[in-house]
Amino acid sequence: MPKYVMVIDQSRCVGCMACVVACKRENDVPPEQFRTRVLEMVKGEFPFLRSELRPELCNHCDHAPCVNVCPTGASHKEADGTVQIDRSRCVGCKACIAACPYNARYINEEHGFADKCTFCQQRLKVGLKPACVATCIGGSRIFGDISDPKSEVRRLIEDNSHRVLLESAGTEPNVYYINRYPKKLS
Amino acid sequence: MELTITGANAITFPHLHIWDWRVASYLFLGGLTGGLMSMSAITNLRAGKAIPHERHCCWPIPIISPLLLSLGMFFLFLDLELKQHMYWFYLTFQPTSPMSWGAWILVLIYPPMILYSLAAIPPPVAEKMAPGLLKSLSEKLRAHLLGIARVNFVGGILLSIYTGILLSTFLARPLWNSAILPVVFLVSGMSTGTALLIIMARQNEVKLFLTKVDIWLIFTEILVLLLFFYGHYSSDAANQAAIMPFMNVSHQYFPYFVSVVFLGIILPLAIAMKFMEVTADHSKSITPMGKFLMNTSAVLVLVGGLVVRFVMVYAGQLSSFTGLLK
Repeated sequence: MPKYVMVIDQSRCVGCMACVVACKRENDVPPEQFRTRVLEMVKGEFPFLRSELRPELCNHCDHAPCVNVCPTGASHKEADGTVQIDRSRCVGCKACIAACPYNARYINEEHGFADKCTFCQQRLKVGLKPACVATCIGGSRIFGDISDPKSEVRRLIEDNSHRVLLESAGTEPNVYYINRYPKKLS
Repeated sequence: MELTITGANAITFPHLHIWDWRVASYLFLGGLTGGLMSMSAITNLRAGKAIPHERHCCWPIPIISPLLLSLGMFFLFLDLELKQHMYWFYLTFQPTSPMSWGAWILVLIYPPMILYSLAAIPPPVAEKMAPGLLKSLSEKLRAHLLGIARVNFVGGILLSIYTGILLSTFLARPLWNSAILPVVFLVSGMSTGTALLIIMARQNEVKLFLTKVDIWLIFTEILVLLLFFYGHYSSDAANQAAIMPFMNVSHQYFPYFVSVVFLGIILPLAIAMKFMEVTADHSKSITPMGKFLMNTSAVLVLVGGLVVRFVMVYAGQLSSFTGLLK
């Protein structure tokens, strides 16, 4: 069974927001709501400023707080490592939204269920990559099976210095960010 | 369509706002009901007190308790986005979910509450009831009042503390993620329950007894609130930031600052009023002014309990790790 992860190379992100648009189009995300976003941040003090573009989405955590708090089992971890929501069991209690440290969830205002990135599960089932990955013009988003030693994501994670968001939270995310100075010291 | 996104919080993304007055009211009513269950049980379980005498004093309370809890659950029901799926709460049990535990605890708590409400009906009132199942049940259960009261005492503590546990397990919300929060809600629930009992109790002796109890409860509430804030202050950056709304007079956080000032005034004021009353001479009877002081201080405690729930629910949603993401 594969274990899907996403690797994000921020140095290749140009902030075109094509991923945001592709995600909304593919998953019919309501207006003003997002499954993925690209944060634009400026750090430092003038004149020593540095901008950062950071794509964010559900981290499909191995220890997902949203799955733990779900009172009906609607939020669950699948065998492929992704966190999914069974809409027919969701009561819209919003506990999962409160539990997510990444603010990756929202209530779908058109249908009422909790919603988030699914890694485009409907595309994975037919052998396609998630819409945001397929559309990324800079190749910033890389998706694959980390359990496959020959996969690109495995190679990127093994070869580069990387991080996950809020590692100290202990959620064990499956979205990896390649650091600004990526090459590991030999 | 907005493409340039500069931050992820409830201000830039209104859909990140989670819970509102409905959940805050549920938490208040849950705590209040827990307090009523435990404290009214104490009035029956006090050593050396004649049972019929005590029963007559507060018998409407066990009847009101399930009604208040039902009102709270109705607010919770209003908060659900997919109400038609509510039955899923009771088709599964998720051991890691505090909300799932809560759903089942509520189911387990109702039967002893209802039995208590029937058992506590005093004979003079039961005699006026129309013959039927309720009347015969009330008469049969009366003999088991003390046992049922003991179960309600424990159930009330469970219910009150659960309302705090529900919030405290959310790692993502640093303000809620404190082991002291359930204690805050437990003590506040007991205190508000005692306050409503003081208002409703008919007998002056019981009013005075509960007023004395409430002084200690309010002292404890102030202490655990201070510990709650100190715990956050002495913790990491996210926890320190979580209590900033309460220390900040800017327009954005003004309601939270006012709430702290408000609690800082009304809780000591309630203690002072209660202290004045319990130290007064009651060799004859409690004066109308004395009753006024008792009831007014009890109302202050109830308002304080409501404020605690509202500010915790709203301020907790402002706290997150978002600003610390590197």
